[in-house]
Amino acid sequence: MSDSGAVRPAWRIESQSVWCTAVLAVVAFGVVYPILLVVLQSFQTALPGQAARYGLDGWRAALAEPALRTSLLNTLGVTLVRQVLALPLAILVAWLLARTDLPGRRWIEFAFWAAFFLPPLTVTLSWILLLDPEYGLVNTTLAALPFVGKGPFNIYSFWGIVWVHVVTGSLTVKVILLTPAFRHMNASFEEASRVAGAGPLRTALRITVPVMAPVILSVLLLGTMVSLQTFEVEQVLGVPFRFFVFSTAIYDLLVTRVPRYDAATALAVLVLLAMLPLIFAQQWITRGRRYATVTGQFQTKPHTLGAWRWPALLFALALVVIVLGVPVVFAVLGTFMKLFGFFNVPEPWTLENWTTVLTDDLFLSSLRNTIVLAVGTSVTAVLLHSLIAYIAVRTRYAGRRLLDVISWLPFTVPGVILGLALLWLFLGTPWLRPLYGTTALLIIAGLVSGMPLGVQIIKSGLMQLGGELEEASRIAGASWWTTYRRIVLRLLAPTLMAVGMITFVGAARNIASVALLSTTANRPLAILQLDFIAQKKFEEAVVIACIIMAMSLVGALIVHVLGVRGNVG
Amino acid sequence: MDRAALEVRRGEVFTLLGPSGCGKTTTLRLVAGLERPDGGEITLRGRVVASVPRRVFVAPNRRNLGMVFQSYAIWPHMTVFDNVAYPLTLRGLGRGEIRDRVARVLDLVGLAGTEARAATLLSGGQMQRLALCRALVYEPDLLLLDEPFSNLDAKLREQMRLELRLLQRRLGVTVLFVTHDQIEALSLSDRIAVMQGGRVEQVGPPRSLYERPGSAFVRDFLGSTVILRGRVAGLEAGGVSVIMNDALAGCTVVGRSVSVTALTPGAPVHVAIRPEDIEVDAGPGDGRALPGVIDALLFVGDRYEARVSLGGEQRIVLMLPRTREWKEGQPVSLAFPRDAVSVWPA
Repeated sequence: MSDSGAVRPAWRIESQSVWCTAVLAVVAFGVVYPILLVVLQSFQTALPGQAARYGLDGWRAALAEPALRTSLLNTLGVTLVRQVLALPLAILVAWLLARTDLPGRRWIEFAFWAAFFLPPLTVTLSWILLLDPEYGLVNTTLAALPFVGKGPFNIYSFWGIVWVHVVTGSLTVKVILLTPAFRHMNASFEEASRVAGAGPLRTALRITVPVMAPVILSVLLLGTMVSLQTFEVEQVLGVPFRFFVFSTAIYDLLVTRVPRYDAATALAVLVLLAMLPLIFAQQWITRGRRYATVTGQFQTKPHTLGAWRWPALLFALALVVIVLGVPVVFAVLGTFMKLFGFFNVPEPWTLENWTTVLTDDLFLSSLRNTIVLAVGTSVTAVLLHSLIAYIAVRTRYAGRRLLDVISWLPFTVPGVILGLALLWLFLGTPWLRPLYGTTALLIIAGLVSGMPLGVQIIKSGLMQLGGELEEASRIAGASWWTTYRRIVLRLLAPTLMAVGMITFVGAARNIASVALLSTTANRPLAILQLDFIAQKKFEEAVVIACIIMAMSLVGALIVHVLGVRGNVG
Repeated sequence: MDRAALEVRRGEVFTLLGPSGCGKTTTLRLVAGLERPDGGEITLRGRVVASVPRRVFVAPNRRNLGMVFQSYAIWPHMTVFDNVAYPLTLRGLGRGEIRDRVARVLDLVGLAGTEARAATLLSGGQMQRLALCRALVYEPDLLLLDEPFSNLDAKLREQMRLELRLLQRRLGVTVLFVTHDQIEALSLSDRIAVMQGGRVEQVGPPRSLYERPGSAFVRDFLGSTVILRGRVAGLEAGGVSVIMNDALAGCTVVGRSVSVTALTPGAPVHVAIRPEDIEVDAGPGDGRALPGVIDALLFVGDRYEARVSLGGEQRIVLMLPRTREWKEGQPVSLAFPRDAVSVWPA
């Protein structure tokens, strides 16, 4: 009795750290190693299959070739303009939702939340229907008015790309992150200023904004990183007028007959280097945010908007229509059109698109791929991400901080570069090469790109749980495994289901990180949709867009019912 | 909040005391202008600052009040100096004068030399002092304190209580203080308003509230009370004699009546006394005192805590001095001094 009591803990600690190290090794192999491969590859000028030859050709191309340099400048331009437009708007909306008596604010917040789940490509297709220079509904309507010669809008332009970005990720993600922050701000900071003698405006400028500044800045940096993830919007809207950002430039370099791996990887490394200051700044701000967190029990009443109540509601509803209403309605309408976008032809409506797509073998095999991909990703993600989160939060394992940081790393790696990195991992490692062209490869991509959010959500769930519930079970005589099964998993079940759902949706719609990894054999719906658009088959593309959107919105609803909020910070 | 008329006199510490949810914080926030009243009127130094019938509402920044919040609300993006200087800047003072006044007020609470420090690096007690400085530096007409000690630990709380009392005496500032802690209220106040369910139960100086509570709620909220049941035996000069019920049948206790109407002989009553006023003696009583037996005895350091059984189901908790030896099972006699006993209609 006393013998086993003395021996077993020692053995258990050993086995635990062995397990933890195994997890750390697997995660590092899937996240860090591919990125190192990309860096190495940027100095490798030979084609795959040939003897390795090292040189600076790729770097020379990335830095000197006008097209590649322009793509970096374009990335910078689009990113900057998006953030500058979206941030003030998001602050205003978050303040309205969190600190005023705006009517229906709960519903409006939910609408923004649902809009966050809309696949960017679906939104892009909807806005093409409205803003295409030739047949866009807004343009044709305006052109019918007197004194307006031709429709004034063109979605295939810099501003078109910026517009679609602002109404998809840029605005919604900021509103979702800022609203809770505004809600939790200690109201007595403002009240103390009012009592000290400051008016409402001075209080807003000297107290509210400075107090919130770290949060706002942090959200801005996160938003910037998120904004570098997309690829499909520029691919669809930018390529027709030869406008490239770094991700579409990398894609372009690789999907030609003579792929230029050296230049593509050098470009990727440049972007990663440019992200470093963002990452450090974000970490620094988050660490520095050790503010007085003592909050009064007194829940203050929201600001009364008074006469501004209805104009503010109108403003918020207009935004909801733009970010949620238009994309959903027009994506659905688009599927029933004989000729995508042409509202003024006789008899524009048809069911043919649906019947064509649903009976298409290409569609059916892609649907199968997507289902295998999404289910596979979400199941493995729940297992792996909960393991990582558990090690980071609950164990004393020496490498838990490192594991935590590595799990966050994919967030800072743009999707196309992640795809590129995994491509190298699988082509460059002989025993992994057979996996190329299988869905397993895409599952790994989804697993890695979903890791930051998944681990983050499970971690906060575990932290809320507190260690004592588990300890009580251990004291009561349950083994570690029994405790995990009967206490942790039961209590964490809603969180884990939400993570599974988020990863499911993410994998089903993911384009950026799988674009370079998919072949005709493992092509999922999202990529098939992109291929249809490239072939100008908009009618088929929009049907798939609708199916992916439906999956996303159902997923969003399930996550919402489970009551879990993603907190990327 | 319904119906309450309160008046705070210049230079006094006036306390709103009551359990949570009794409306005391709402009252304070109404005075501060952070809430709008549904009815009634608030006057500060002869100036109406809020009045529903007259449609007057003065914004909080135009009331010249000082306030210490429960969470202190120390602005995290400012230094200690900036926090205190903020209200002075708003009042258009010159740089030199601001520096002087901030230095003087920080010195007053022992924070001199911390001016340049980030306000978030202060300890809880220091933050509280800083919040006090910020509220006092512009010499407000009235200082509002919203449970200012509730986030401090017990030791620090006692110390801050004393400091605040001395500071208030020195500066002569008028204070409106909100707390749910009876010891804070009793020790700091010139007058206390005990509140319950949005109504004011009783207003008065601490001692008179404690010794002559006007209602059962005030009696039980301020300190602990021993309550025994009995029946009126007769009325004497300035008092009522009561025959005890149950296991104490036959014993008599005399006290003053708190009833508004005259008590008639035979009427059921409650006899109330503060436990510290009961005179405890070892050994069985002499007939005038009530008999009891110590059935549990705890040594708590400076004294003993004893549960004394009065026979049957009646048990009371008493503090016994350390100067004597006590044992569990020991019979004791309990004398109820006439001045300390109050008789309440049951």
